[in-house]
Amino acid sequence: MIAVTGIGWLNRKEYGCVIGNIIKRLEGLDSLYTSFKRESIFSYPVKNFSRFDAISKTTCFCAALALKDAGIYYSAGQKQDIGIFGANESGCLESNINYFKDYIESGRILARGNLFIYTLPSIPLAEAAIHFGLSGPLLHISFNEKSLPSLLSFAGKSILEGEAPAILAVQAEETDAVCFVLQSKDAVSSGKSLCLEAVSSAAEKTNFPEIITALTGLGNRDC
Amino acid sequence: MEGRRVDMIKAVTVACDVVTPYGWGVDLCWEGLLSGITAIRRIERFSTTNLQTQNAATVPGLTISRHESIIMQMITPLLTAIAPEIPHETFVILATTNGEIEILQKSVLRGTIGAKNSLPDHLLGKIISLAGTAGRGMVVSAACASSSAAVSKAASMIRNRELDSVLVVACDCVSEFVTAGFSSLMALDSDKAKPFDKNRRGLSLGEAAGFMLIMSEERAAREKRPVIGEIAGWGLTNDANHITGPSKDGSGLSKAVYNSLRSADISENEIGSISAHGTGTIYNDSMEIRAIKKVFGKRPLPVYSVKGGTGHTLGAAGLLEIIIAFESLNRRVVPPTVNLRDTDREAEGWVSPRPQSFESPMTLSTNSGFGGVNSALVLKKAETIL
Repeated sequence: MIAVTGIGWLNRKEYGCVIGNIIKRLEGLDSLYTSFKRESIFSYPVKNFSRFDAISKTTCFCAALALKDAGIYYSAGQKQDIGIFGANESGCLESNINYFKDYIESGRILARGNLFIYTLPSIPLAEAAIHFGLSGPLLHISFNEKSLPSLLSFAGKSILEGEAPAILAVQAEETDAVCFVLQSKDAVSSGKSLCLEAVSSAAEKTNFPEIITALTGLGNRDC
Repeated sequence: MEGRRVDMIKAVTVACDVVTPYGWGVDLCWEGLLSGITAIRRIERFSTTNLQTQNAATVPGLTISRHESIIMQMITPLLTAIAPEIPHETFVILATTNGEIEILQKSVLRGTIGAKNSLPDHLLGKIISLAGTAGRGMVVSAACASSSAAVSKAASMIRNRELDSVLVVACDCVSEFVTAGFSSLMALDSDKAKPFDKNRRGLSLGEAAGFMLIMSEERAAREKRPVIGEIAGWGLTNDANHITGPSKDGSGLSKAVYNSLRSADISENEIGSISAHGTGTIYNDSMEIRAIKKVFGKRPLPVYSVKGGTGHTLGAAGLLEIIIAFESLNRRVVPPTVNLRDTDREAEGWVSPRPQSFESPMTLSTNSGFGGVNSALVLKKAETIL
C-alpha cells in the first residue's frame, strides 16, 4: 500500500503544506525564494536559482514544501534513493519559445546555452533532484487523460515495483505547482500520512484551486 | 528494484522497425554499422555557417516540407506498415525530447500562433491515430534516456500484469533548434563523433524514429507472434550532480546497471556484451567506462557505441540501440565502434573498431542524459526465454 506523506503547493497568492495544515499568503513568486531561505524551507541556497526557468523555480518551491511536510531532511552532498516524476500541461513550451526567439534575434549567430538547457521538459525535475539529492528515477510524463491522478498512480506503481522507496510526484506550471511525497506504507514509521486513493480522488478535480481545496479538505484521512 | 520471480510475466518484443541515417529498416542500419562507415555527413537542411559543426547524421531523402514534419515523414511509413498487426487496445508510449520541433521553429520565425502544436502530446495523438489503437497513451521524456526509459516502463507495466500489449514509439530529428543549442554548449565535434577515441571532441547529432511492440510472453505465444527478444530487467537512476555533465565517477550509471541486473535476477557474469551510450564527449565516455568497470571489474566485455555511425539520435537513441542490441544478440557479434581510430587508454580492451564476437545470450544497453538521467536494460536472446 502507498501512503502520501507530504504535499506542498503554491500559487500566485498562497503556499502551503497539506498534512502539516499550513497555509501562508505570499506577496509574489519573486519574493518566495528569500522567504524560503529565511524560514529554512530551503536548508541551503539553491545553486544558480536565478537562472532557472519559471517551471524549475515552482518545481523546487513545491518540492521543498512537500519534503518539509513529509519530515524528510536533506543536506548538501548527501543523496537519497528518492525518485522524481513530473507532469504538466505545457511541457517546456515557453522555454522553447524563449530560447529560439533569443537565437533568432541574435541573427542566428549564437544560441544561449543557459536557455537551451531548459528546452527539455525533464530539466526542472533535474534541478530539483540536484538540489535535494534525489538519486532515484527521474521522468517527465504527459498523460493523455486525467493527468494528475495518472501521475500519482504511475508513481505509486513504480514504488511497488521497487524502483525507489519514495517518489516525488510534481505537477508544476509557471505560477501553480503541487508536489506529493509517496512512500510505501510499510516504510512509514510514524507521523501523519494520507491514503493514495483519497489523494488521487481529490486530484481528479478539474482545476488547480479546486484540487488544492479538495486536498486541504482531506484532513487526517489516514490509510 | 525487485528481483524477477519465476512466476513473473515476461515482457517480449514481437515487432520493431527503425529508420536511421543509414536508411529504412533494421538491416540497413546493422549493415551500415558493420561496414564501419559513418552515416554522419554534411547538413543540407539549414545553414550551418555559425554553428560548431557542419555535420550531422540525417535520414537520406527527408526534406523540410510545408505539409509534413521530418518526424512525421519518418513515423508515418513505419506505423502505416505495422498498424494492422497492432492490437486495438494497445497502450502507446511516445519517447522524444523535442517532438515536432519544426512546428515551433516555423511559428517563431513567422510570428504566428501554433507553437503549442509542437508539444509531444499533439504528436502522441497523431501516432495513436496512425497505429489505430484505442487512444490510451503517454509521453515519456527523460532527455537522451527517453526511449530506454519508455521501454523500461512498458516492460514494467507488462510484468505487473497491468497491460499485455504496449507500443513504444521513439523519434527525434536534426533541427536548427537543437544543433544551435548543442553548439552553444560546445558539445559537438566539429568533424564527426569518435566515441571512446583518445581524440574525441564531442558528439554528432543524428535523427531516427522507430517502434517496438512489446507484449506479455503469454499473449505473444497465444497469438503466435515471433519473439525477437526479452526485456529482462531495467534500472533508472539520477546522478543528482550537474545539469549537463555526468557524475565523473560513474556512480549513478553503475547503480542503474546494478538495479537492472537485480531486476533481471542475474549476476554481472551473465552479461556478454554492452551497448554503451558512447556519445563521443570527453566526459560521457570516460564516466561510462568507469561505471562499466565498477560493475564488471577487470573482465573486459565487448563494448560498443553506434553513435559514430548514426550520430546521437537523442530521444530515439535508446530504442534504436535496443533494436541493434537484439540484432547483435541474435548474431552473437557486436558491431564496430565506427570512427574509433585510437582507443582511449581507459577503454582499451573493451571497445574496438572491429566487430567482436561473444557467447552469452544476454546483453546490456545503457543510456545517460542531461539532468543526470541514467538507464540500463538487460536484454535476452529469444531462444533462451524459458
